[in-house]
Amino acid sequence: MGLKSIWTKIYQTLSSVRTGIFLIIVVGVFSAIGTVILQRPTSEPSDLQRAYSPETLLWLDRLGLTDIYHASWFLVLVCLFCLCLIFVSLDRWPNAWKVYANPVRFATAPFRASLPQSVKIPVKDGVAALSVAESILGRVGFKAERVTNNGETGLFAEKQRFSVFAVYLVHLSLLFICAGYYLVDSTIGYRGYIQVPEGQALSQILLRDNRGGETKKMLPFQIRCDGAGMEAYADGSPKKWWSNLTLIENGREVVAKKIVVNDPLSYKGIRIYQSSMGDTGELKSLVLTATPSNGGIVETVKVPQNGKAALADGESVSVLRWIPNYYIQDNEIFKKSDDLENPAIQLGLTDLKGETKKLWMFPVQLNRTKDEDVSYVFSLAGQPQMVQFTGLQVSYQPGQFEVWIGVVLMAFGLMIAFYTQHTRVWATVISDGKGGQILWAGGTTNKNRDRFQAKFEQIKAALQEELGGAAQANKNSENTLTKA
Amino acid sequence: MSQARVEQQRPASGAVLLVLVGLGIAFALLVALLAAAKAHTGPIYGEANMLYAALVLYTGAATLYMGYGVTGIERYVSAASLLTALGFAANTAAVAHRWSVAGRPPFSNMYEMLLSFVWTLALLTLIAERAYKVKIIGSITMPITVVSVILMQLLPSEVRPLVPALQSTWLQVHVTLAMLSYAACAVSFALAMMFLIQDNMKTEGFQAITATGMIAVYAGMLITRFRSGNLAVTAYDLESKSEVMISRGHPLFVQIPDLGWLYLLVLVSAIVPLVLYVAAQVKKDRSLFDVASKGMFVTILLQVVGLAIFVTRVKNGRYGAPEADGLYATAMPANPFLLAGIVGGIVAGLLYLLLLWRREGLQKMMPSADKLDTVTYKIICIAFPLLTLMIAAGAYWANQAWGSYWSWDPKETWAAITWLVYAGYLHMRITRGWKGRRAAWFAILGFAVVIFTFFGVTYLLPGLHAYAAG
Repeated sequence: MGLKSIWTKIYQTLSSVRTGIFLIIVVGVFSAIGTVILQRPTSEPSDLQRAYSPETLLWLDRLGLTDIYHASWFLVLVCLFCLCLIFVSLDRWPNAWKVYANPVRFATAPFRASLPQSVKIPVKDGVAALSVAESILGRVGFKAERVTNNGETGLFAEKQRFSVFAVYLVHLSLLFICAGYYLVDSTIGYRGYIQVPEGQALSQILLRDNRGGETKKMLPFQIRCDGAGMEAYADGSPKKWWSNLTLIENGREVVAKKIVVNDPLSYKGIRIYQSSMGDTGELKSLVLTATPSNGGIVETVKVPQNGKAALADGESVSVLRWIPNYYIQDNEIFKKSDDLENPAIQLGLTDLKGETKKLWMFPVQLNRTKDEDVSYVFSLAGQPQMVQFTGLQVSYQPGQFEVWIGVVLMAFGLMIAFYTQHTRVWATVISDGKGGQILWAGGTTNKNRDRFQAKFEQIKAALQEELGGAAQANKNSENTLTKA
Repeated sequence: MSQARVEQQRPASGAVLLVLVGLGIAFALLVALLAAAKAHTGPIYGEANMLYAALVLYTGAATLYMGYGVTGIERYVSAASLLTALGFAANTAAVAHRWSVAGRPPFSNMYEMLLSFVWTLALLTLIAERAYKVKIIGSITMPITVVSVILMQLLPSEVRPLVPALQSTWLQVHVTLAMLSYAACAVSFALAMMFLIQDNMKTEGFQAITATGMIAVYAGMLITRFRSGNLAVTAYDLESKSEVMISRGHPLFVQIPDLGWLYLLVLVSAIVPLVLYVAAQVKKDRSLFDVASKGMFVTILLQVVGLAIFVTRVKNGRYGAPEADGLYATAMPANPFLLAGIVGGIVAGLLYLLLLWRREGLQKMMPSADKLDTVTYKIICIAFPLLTLMIAAGAYWANQAWGSYWSWDPKETWAAITWLVYAGYLHMRITRGWKGRRAAWFAILGFAVVIFTFFGVTYLLPGLHAYAAG
């Protein structure tokens, strides 16, 4: 007893298929549990608070049950499973390689005894019988080669020898996927969110952590939004969300692209997705109807934020304050939200002397200015245009290449594993110990034994028909000869 | 010889009559449900008419297949097969028409997915029948297609333009593969059940399976929808043909008074036979099986009553909800999970009764156990690569649309679990030589997981959380 035997024990445990299957079932069960308990990364913190009592939530968090797939104990399970895959493969590899590189071409007596499928037929002429067997094997798709061993001649044929590697390919693909996801993407990869208002360039994204909070992260470049919008179908449902983005690295514009949902922008492995869209609450422009108090011509002017619009009589109008959704408390106007619901607009009317009069307008209550001693009455013509922001999902997943490699390997591996099989057949002439000759034929496969069994039955039937018949015929002709 | 056969069947003729009357009632119920369906307009070759034709033909086929199951008359099969083929043609026309109108393959919502699912199921039924000579399979798959088409009549079916997230070729690939693989899984399930019948599993065993299925359905329903005696159903605005939402992603649940109690009673009535079965097994007392068998009649009867009351109360009446003032209407389309569960339970019950009364006849009609075992394996060999590619295509699409190829969303996780179960089946079969009963149970488990992934994840899991939140 000692360290060595402990290692042997661990190696034995981890290199058993039983352990692997047990581990994968445990991982599956916990994955299923993770779909029943709300998970931090995929649900809103408020949903969790509503669904569970504070103590329950505390314990769920402590046990990692609110983020099972990234919990340390889940990682340990996955690591153990990967180790198991590696050990199982290492343990069985030498044998598989031997079968592949040095196939048993001649069926010696002990080997013959170990084969599950075999047939013995007494024959007169061993050499001729072997030729018959060769042609029968050829007919069922086995191209046999002649093998000699210590002066004995035999037949050997095999199909789909590469099939022995399928299991290693599948194991390797699983390792690739686990490594890509857990080793790379869960450690150096990230996924965050950023809102960029039109015309601005930002580089700080927010990442959701597994405690329901958010952490900040700086991107190595700035994202500038040059415009964003939505196209709708005739029935009003959204057809397309788009944003024109420019990436600025070290003060230089490095890449520009119009992104839409399902078509992200990718730069240095960082991918930027269209996720949402909305109003910032800041005004872009207003369209006003200006009615002169003295009965002149009514005109419509467009007032940009931070700008003025000239009126016919030489005066000008500007927007002094803009509140998209207001409320009044203690005779003061406050902002309730950034949504365009109940706006308050303060206009400035600058006369020819350069003096500015402040005019309030609350379009939801009354769509015109109420001040009577001024030269114009203004009212809102159409929806105010607000500055849009584009909500972007930013993700860095350098491990995805390993994952895709793993997926492709797995597809190949599974196809080979489930739909091909390494089948081998041998035939040789042996002595029956009484001076007679026996044609022996046997075969084996590494999987899907029923199917091979059916195939071997076919071979057996053909051999018995032709050789048994031939032996009979030989005997008959001999009999005839002796009689004659 | 034929005389002897007729003699053999005589004792069952009372039961045959009962089943036929039951089928008749079921059909009348379906027609009543259809009365609620929309008026059919548009060209005669149009989707709505073609689908209606497919429904009529499929219903005929299902009845004939079940009739074949009951009486064993071979002629029924050729007629049923012909009707299925005609229905399939009409179904194809409906798919083609919708495809040409929408300008994209029909996979974007529940209605379109069912349309494709039914098409695949009918095709696989025809293939299984022609290529593998498994004639009886139609009596399981065709009722499923009929229920699906009825469900479709109740779902909003306007061709809606695709929202931006769904405008991806990969999504179409993903959904096509999902439909094909799920349909193949459904067929493998039916074959595995038939294998168990041919493998001389005791009828009590099937009774236990049926009761377990029913318990799962009603427990799932009650866990998510039971509100102190009432049954919560989704409110539905009949004019806009859409669910009433409280806020984004949170539909309004209205409560149908006292229906919860009725369904609790149904649940208890389904638990009783299972408990009796277990007791009979433990005590080795065969007389308890007979009691359990009577219990099955009671629960099936209660379920039919439950469906009738559900349909009438949903159709006529407006109900209140604690979260909102006023009364709201509800409709079948808003509650596909409940409807599918109730109808599924009744269909399972009818199939059980069929087995109970006509076991010997059924066994004569079915292919041999060995053959069924092999065909189940072959079908899973088809389903599995489809399942693998479906998950890969889904991951690729998610990577394009949401920025992550895998985000442990419940649907993804359950798809992966489904994949593991079928991988386990093939692994055990190929390397360990598992076949026969163990393999059949594995295939049944696989399909149970598929059902959960398809219905449970969509309706049960969010429902679970909605309830926790309420």
